[in-house]
Amino acid sequence: MKALDYNTGQKPVWCPGCGNFAIWNSIKKALAEAGVEPHRLALVSGIGCSGKMINHVRAYGFHGLHGRTMPVATGIRLANPDMKVLVNGGDGDGYGMGVGHFVHSMRRNVDLTYIVHNNKVYGLTTGQASPTNDVGSPSKSTPFGVVDEPLNPIAIAIDAGATYVARGFSGDSEQLAELILGGLNHNGFALIDVFQPCVTFGGKYQYEYYQERVVKIENHDVTDADAALKLSKTKDKLPIGLFYKAEGHPSYNEMHPEIEKAQVRKRDVTALLEELV
Amino acid sequence: MSSVYVWKIGGPAGFGIMTTGPMFAKVLKASGYHVHGYPEYPSLIRGGYNCYQIAFGDTEVTAPYKKIDMYVALSDECFNREMFEEGTYVIGDFANLKNAGDIKAKKIDVPLMDIVKEMDGPDIMRNSVALGAAAALLGLDFALLEKNLMAAYKEKVAKINVDAAKKGYESVKERYSVVCKPSPDKCAPALYVTGNEATSIGAVAGGLTFFSTYPMTPASSILHYLAKCTREHGLVVKHTEDEISGINMAVGASFAGARAMTGTAGGGFSLMNEGLGLAAITEVPIVLAVSQRPGPATGMATWTEQGDLKYIINASQGEFIRAVYSPGSVEECYKFTFDALNLADKYHIPVFVLLDKFLSESHFMAEKMPETGEVNRGYIFEGNEEEPMAYFNRFTEKKDGVGVRVIPGTKGGLYIASSNEHTDEGFVSDKADVRKSQVERRFRKLKPLTDDMPHPELFGKKDAPLTFVCFGSVKMMLLEAMKHTDKFNFIHFPAVIPLNWDKVKKMLEGRNLCVMENNYTAQLRGIIAENTGIIIEKTFLKYDGRPFFNEEIVSFAEEAAK
Ligand SMILES: Cc1ncc(C[n+]2csc(CCOP(=O)(O)OP(=O)(O)O)c2C)c(N)n1
Ligand code: SF4
Repeated sequence: MKALDYNTGQKPVWCPGCGNFAIWNSIKKALAEAGVEPHRLALVSGIGCSGKMINHVRAYGFHGLHGRTMPVATGIRLANPDMKVLVNGGDGDGYGMGVGHFVHSMRRNVDLTYIVHNNKVYGLTTGQASPTNDVGSPSKSTPFGVVDEPLNPIAIAIDAGATYVARGFSGDSEQLAELILGGLNHNGFALIDVFQPCVTFGGKYQYEYYQERVVKIENHDVTDADAALKLSKTKDKLPIGLFYKAEGHPSYNEMHPEIEKAQVRKRDVTALLEELV
Repeated sequence: MSSVYVWKIGGPAGFGIMTTGPMFAKVLKASGYHVHGYPEYPSLIRGGYNCYQIAFGDTEVTAPYKKIDMYVALSDECFNREMFEEGTYVIGDFANLKNAGDIKAKKIDVPLMDIVKEMDGPDIMRNSVALGAAAALLGLDFALLEKNLMAAYKEKVAKINVDAAKKGYESVKERYSVVCKPSPDKCAPALYVTGNEATSIGAVAGGLTFFSTYPMTPASSILHYLAKCTREHGLVVKHTEDEISGINMAVGASFAGARAMTGTAGGGFSLMNEGLGLAAITEVPIVLAVSQRPGPATGMATWTEQGDLKYIINASQGEFIRAVYSPGSVEECYKFTFDALNLADKYHIPVFVLLDKFLSESHFMAEKMPETGEVNRGYIFEGNEEEPMAYFNRFTEKKDGVGVRVIPGTKGGLYIASSNEHTDEGFVSDKADVRKSQVERRFRKLKPLTDDMPHPELFGKKDAPLTFVCFGSVKMMLLEAMKHTDKFNFIHFPAVIPLNWDKVKKMLEGRNLCVMENNYTAQLRGIIAENTGIIIEKTFLKYDGRPFFNEEIVSFAEEAAK
């Protein structure tokens, strides 16, 4: 498979220069490298500019509801273990509306790869602050500045039980593709939070903002959860790369042995009925 | 004995009433009686007042009564809650019951606590002593009680409970005579089953492979029942973080090829609202078992109502078709759940099985479950090896508005299930012609779907002076009342939408109609009026959280027919 094979021919509707283009390219590259055939891939999307990804990657697609990607993806994974499940959503979608599902999915260590297009705003609804926006920054819904503390998705993920936790940047699509590939090859829940500049509504969070601050993670033991947590809380710089990777945890499907037997057919319930006589 | 005898046990929650009651019902059933069990309990784990009523007789019994013929009082609270007639037998440990002083009933004094202490058993063993006493008074064979106690408890505990029951049995036998001789025609060994059990088993029979939800009374026991079936029957059951996740997970699973269902009460369904619309526009088959309780919000968690009918029918924004079964018996719970799974797969729509607390948690006898057809998954694309990368026109009409389903993993079947309006391949589109043709196609399913739904049915004598009109579990209550008066017949709606309303109209015309519903606003009446133009003036409504008791129906019918 080549990256180009994953094109659908649909014209992207993202603004020119949007960080989503880089994510798109990295996804295609990673899929090609991992050799995932399109009919073996289930792409799940939320609602938002990020969710539009569903139209641009050749695969079985499920374009769900705002904030509800995680349960849909989990259902797919549990019902059809032959499929690779790749999820795309925004930070509003996943860390706002869907934060409960996000946390519980990581607790479950469901085997899927979750890419969050973290632009710190709501893009599609034209620029309200998202839960990752910093205190003080103005937006359409917070004209006098955000007052709520931002949440830290990396720290939450490490704590909640995700077994692959990474952060990429749209300005470095090479590294991003590698991180996604790592997620696809990982057996368990993989989070890839991506700094994705929204060039239209992103306010100060543009390419330059990130370029000045991002640093590649180096000399870090990815199996050390405490170190990863500490790293995720770095204040002055913004580390990108793999924070945490835990091997050897049973993935969700392994904990549901009934999946093997789950087949749609008429069942004989005589024994169940007899219990009630 | 009178035609129906009513036995009841009551005491604080935590006293084991809800295991003791059904167990004793099985003893009565084994003795040859027809039985019906009705539980009442508050939303408390300890304290409060729990009771379980068993109405039994020589012929089929299907609903609760107000009268009580024999009562087992396990605490003082019972005397504040229950009305006893002079003829009622009350079994109790009267030395330890302070409030019982002035009751009119005949007291059957059994030293429950003394016996338990003597045997060095736990307090809760009182129940078994009391059951022994009741069995003696009812002239039942002790061996049958012993057998059911052995089955209800783990071996070691079972033995000591049998001994305790024996002591209660002997104690009564020595001092009182039998008050109600069982002389029933032996009824066939039948099931003793709740609506939720029947619904769950119907789902297992129908090949369900995925069930996900969050617990909420009175639907929780569907979750519990199915969860027990997972290993043996190859069924994935997930208790999710909330109902939103419950329905979305089921939709994801169904998209991926599972036969999926979720189940909840009205409050949980409120959260499932958006997921319902998602299933509708993505045309992912899904079955929802919704058991009603009084609302809004948390309402009365453990009581019954039929207040969610209009909500179920209208829930979610936009226009789309759905099917709503409203089973009136355990047999229908079983059959319709089986059928609902097929219907969802056949038309790619959400299908409801609408229950209520009365039907979900009461016990009914059933000779056997009805015959079902085969599992039918509808049109499924088999794949195209030649063009594995090709997109598939999932949303193009094959027949009757229905497209061809693809199970992900199939070569050449790529498509997108989208919550947005979409093209035939599922790509987002808001073009006017695309929208129009998709809406029209989806609605073309309505006609054949209507033909597949069960039609309302008339029960009782054709020419009765009064005709009740009802849906769901009220059927059971009316069947019972029919044994006591010939002043009415009734039309039961086993499904509410979609229906052939011309046929319904013909059926209703020319009758003295009265809607009978467990709600305040007569919701079925509204739906009938909307679809047939017939406005049913007379109403018989109940909305205090209780089902209609037999005596209430009989006196209403006799009065209305005057
Ligand atoms: C239940 C619901 N509420 C609100 C919306 C409107 N809505 C669409 S996208 C969006 C926010 C998207 O933000 P984000 O997830 O950060 O994605 P982005 O567009 O920035 O990629 C909102 C609020 C919706 N579609 N559904
Ligand atoms: S609004 Fe922002 S996130 Fe959306 S497409 Fe435009 S640049 Fe990208």
